[in-house]
Amino acid sequence: MAVLVREHARLHRPHGPSISRQRRRAFLVLTLPAVILYTIFFVGPTLASFWVSLHAWDGVTEMRWRGLGNYALLLEDEVFLAAFRNTLAILLAGGLLVFLLSFALLLGMRAMAGRRFARSVIFFPNIIAPIVLSVLWGFLFSTGGLVDAALSGMGLDPPNWLGDHLFLVIFLGLIWTHTGFYVTILMAATDRIPRYFYEAAELDGAGPLQQFRHITMPLTWDVVSTAAVIWTISSLKVFDFIYAFGGTSNDLPPIHTWNTAVFIYAQTFGGRVPAYSFGYASASAVVTLVSIVIFVLLLRRVIRRDPIQF
Amino acid sequence: MVVVNLTVLAWMLVTSLREHREIFARPFDWPTFAWGNYAKAWQSADFGVAAGNSLLLVATAAVAVVIVAAPAGYALGRGVGRAAASLTLYFALGIGVPVQVIVIPLFVLMERLSLVNNLFGLFLLYVAVSLPFTVFLLTGYFASLPAELEEAAAIDGASRLRAFWTIMLPLARSGLITAFTLNAIGLWNEAFLALVFVQSTGKQTLPLALLGFLAKQQYSGADYGVLFAGVAMLVLPMLLLYVWLGRRIIEGMTLGAGK
Repeated sequence: MAVLVREHARLHRPHGPSISRQRRRAFLVLTLPAVILYTIFFVGPTLASFWVSLHAWDGVTEMRWRGLGNYALLLEDEVFLAAFRNTLAILLAGGLLVFLLSFALLLGMRAMAGRRFARSVIFFPNIIAPIVLSVLWGFLFSTGGLVDAALSGMGLDPPNWLGDHLFLVIFLGLIWTHTGFYVTILMAATDRIPRYFYEAAELDGAGPLQQFRHITMPLTWDVVSTAAVIWTISSLKVFDFIYAFGGTSNDLPPIHTWNTAVFIYAQTFGGRVPAYSFGYASASAVVTLVSIVIFVLLLRRVIRRDPIQF
Repeated sequence: MVVVNLTVLAWMLVTSLREHREIFARPFDWPTFAWGNYAKAWQSADFGVAAGNSLLLVATAAVAVVIVAAPAGYALGRGVGRAAASLTLYFALGIGVPVQVIVIPLFVLMERLSLVNNLFGLFLLYVAVSLPFTVFLLTGYFASLPAELEEAAAIDGASRLRAFWTIMLPLARSGLITAFTLNAIGLWNEAFLALVFVQSTGKQTLPLALLGFLAKQQYSGADYGVLFAGVAMLVLPMLLLYVWLGRRIIEGMTLGAGK
């Protein structure tokens, strides 16, 4: 986002005297429909979440003021804390694995024939409904499924994946579905690096890993940091993939697999007897939003470096 | 990973063409071409109605988003000064807000407008939640177009609105198609808002029909053949679109990070 704004400032240094009134009117006419829709159905609700989170409310009767009571309750709620831990596990451990795997695939695919095709196949899960991916992933790990068959083929005793290790299965599934996106981004960035950098490094006797460390990493750092921000946001948006495990149109998945998104749904509309605790769920929504802001700001501070021009 | 993806896809398609009993006995085998699975899914498992709803909703909402976002993207991408810059940021911030954060106030709002369990209501929501990304995408696209043509139009006395309509919009056709395609994909797969805002079976979309079918299986026993036929109905249109417009889709979706 910041990148776009910076770009904007660069491209559009004011190059005339003051903007004429006609231009200003045109600007209004062009942007107004989008601004109105976006403000009413998006920005308004976002701000309202903060307000609702300070009340006890079921959406129908009067709101009752509760101050920070909802937040205090959240901190003691084992279910919420577990959901928050899961969210963090996906964000941090999952993020690390996604990026390691992406770089590994990138290295592996550099000299590969048909890498465009390989990239398309790896990217494909990104345009499939997460629910579908979830169903397919569940089948792979079902008792007597493909994974079990592979494990017993290696002489190992397959565990009860979906019963005892469901969160692990979900965690791995999320990595499977997301990695393609980051491989694609990083591949586009590495493709822009001129070949002669690598040729020169090879002449100097640098191996593939050294080349990666001293050429690829520094020159793609800018893209890596943006990709990390994208991962932060999208990992907190995960809902469908977890929900469809055991979740159906009226049941929820097992509690120990919830993330904050599922928690919010469970506290409001989900389950056979919806709870409609709007105030309480809004508090966890606000916690989610604030964590996104904190993580994005932290990321920007920690890994932001000036991009190297080449 | 490539092999895994291809295998899973092929296995899904094959399985959708086999009888339930066979799948259970031998999960990995060649199809027996049980086209009946698709007929069954279409009629008895509500996938037919849902496919119609999905198609209608996705087509109209994706078009509407582009119609609303294109003028804004043009004004912001080619606009000058603080107003354009801060409005660009205003829209871009929305990309970072997950839907589950805004769903509660949205639900109350839609209930007051009596638009819950209403396809038009869902249409409105789909347009609104798709706006931030689409405006972002099109702002970048319009900013990348050459300024000379527009200046020439201004010299010829065309107003800004006219320049937008007759010159920039046709130029931006490719960007508009990308925006339409990406929104169509995203909305076709969308489940969360549909889950919250649709309650009756006659109004559900395909992802909901799939979830509903999973629910039914718990009581009446599983029929994996039909299940996979339903899954294939969700996947096949996307697969065709991907084969046809793959490069455009990949570039559009990864655009934000590339710059």
